[in-house]
Amino acid sequence: MHQTLDRRRLLATAALGGVVGATGLGSLAPEAAFAADAVAVEPGMPDPNFAEGRISKISGNMLLVTGSDTVLHSIRITDGTSIWKLHPTTFDRVAVGDGLYARGVRLPDGTLAADSVWVNIVNLHAHIASVGRNVLHLDHKGQRIVAHVVTGRSAAVYNGTPAVSDMSLLRVGRHVQVLGAWHPDTNEIDIATVYAAA
Amino acid sequence: MLEMIAALQPLVVGAVLVWSARVKLLNRHAAATVNRSALVRLVGERRALPAYRLLGGVELALGGLLLLPPTPRWEAAAATALAGGFLAYLTYARRAAPTSSCGCLSARATPVSGRSVARAGLLVAAGGLAALTTAGWTAALTARPLAGVAVLLIELAAVVALSPELDRAWLLPLRQLRVRLTHPLRGNSGVPLLASVQQLQLSDAYRRVAPLLRSDIREHWDDGGWRFVGHAARYQGRPATAVFAVPLTDAEPGSVRVAVVDDATGHTLLSLAGTPPATGPHLSVVPA
Repeated sequence: MHQTLDRRRLLATAALGGVVGATGLGSLAPEAAFAADAVAVEPGMPDPNFAEGRISKISGNMLLVTGSDTVLHSIRITDGTSIWKLHPTTFDRVAVGDGLYARGVRLPDGTLAADSVWVNIVNLHAHIASVGRNVLHLDHKGQRIVAHVVTGRSAAVYNGTPAVSDMSLLRVGRHVQVLGAWHPDTNEIDIATVYAAA
Repeated sequence: MLEMIAALQPLVVGAVLVWSARVKLLNRHAAATVNRSALVRLVGERRALPAYRLLGGVELALGGLLLLPPTPRWEAAAATALAGGFLAYLTYARRAAPTSSCGCLSARATPVSGRSVARAGLLVAAGGLAALTTAGWTAALTARPLAGVAVLLIELAAVVALSPELDRAWLLPLRQLRVRLTHPLRGNSGVPLLASVQQLQLSDAYRRVAPLLRSDIREHWDDGGWRFVGHAARYQGRPATAVFAVPLTDAEPGSVRVAVVDDATGHTLLSLAGTPPATGPHLSVVPA
């Protein structure tokens, strides 16, 4: 805990106290100097640096994931991996049975060293069938989905304007796009972002 | 009582059939409606539209005959058979093409649901009940007008309630009214993380360090009017952390700052403060 606070103080000081344009390694180079290697993916081939599936086993910092095409993936979580599960979170919140999308770098031994992992992420286009107390009942191609509004986490984007926490402009019968976190093996999700017209 | 209810059934079944025929015969988008239905699977694409229109004609003829007295038993029997056919078709559609539309009482695309099947079952029962008597509905209504009207209203309400395609006309307005009265979604406030992320992604600072970033957001915290957002980064081969500082009260992307800090040494490798907005004339873009 103390370590985290010290680290955050260091990072905050670095972000706020910097001098424009100066760097610890000399003057600021143009953007071209930072350019990352282009990701080479052959057309029509699966992206080697991406994996998706359900977690069947967690051992140490390795995730064993069964893809929806039954391909097995070994995903290594490193110190630099970002983990999203409704919000940026930590490795201990990941559980067996969760679904995930992962992006990273494929190592020579076939494992994927993950840069980013999105756990249980879903992206739905649906209609709002009804609204309850902090819950939306969505009609998604005739299937009912229960979407929970999580106070302090869920955001709404109306007409493409900046995100707000206020959900009260959502209307029954309207079309929405929802990014959220699925509750595994149910028809329920927690809402991360709902995009709507207002 | 049962005699009276049975005598009124031709009216109910006839009304539903005529309504259903209206959709099938007068709808200008019938071709599109048919293509979404399971009829295409059943009789083939070329014959689906003629079959749909023919069904509408049969429904109109039978519905008209049922509405006009007298009502011999064969009319009720034919209506029962037709409703049984609907029941079989809907059961087939649910099994063979679960994503297909019903195409029953409205041109609106509505998946075949348990309610549609229950409605067909209700029509079978009403047809069967009608076959029990040959008494005309006019006589039954004049004998007991109040009870008769009540029975008709309840049955038609049941048909409407079991029709998912008619929800838009009554159920959604009711739910909208409930939301307007109870405000179930109010009470969420504060700056969501996404607002800060949108702001930082529009910023000059983000545009300049984006090629260094390796991960999505790893951590974020609020401190002293700022929201800090950390990404894993790589700077000239070293693992680093890119930390953005986004003001919580100022939504201007130009005020976002960033530092890239070496993970091993804690040294600041790069830092960019926000750029002040450009002076002089500028084009302001307002999102639609």
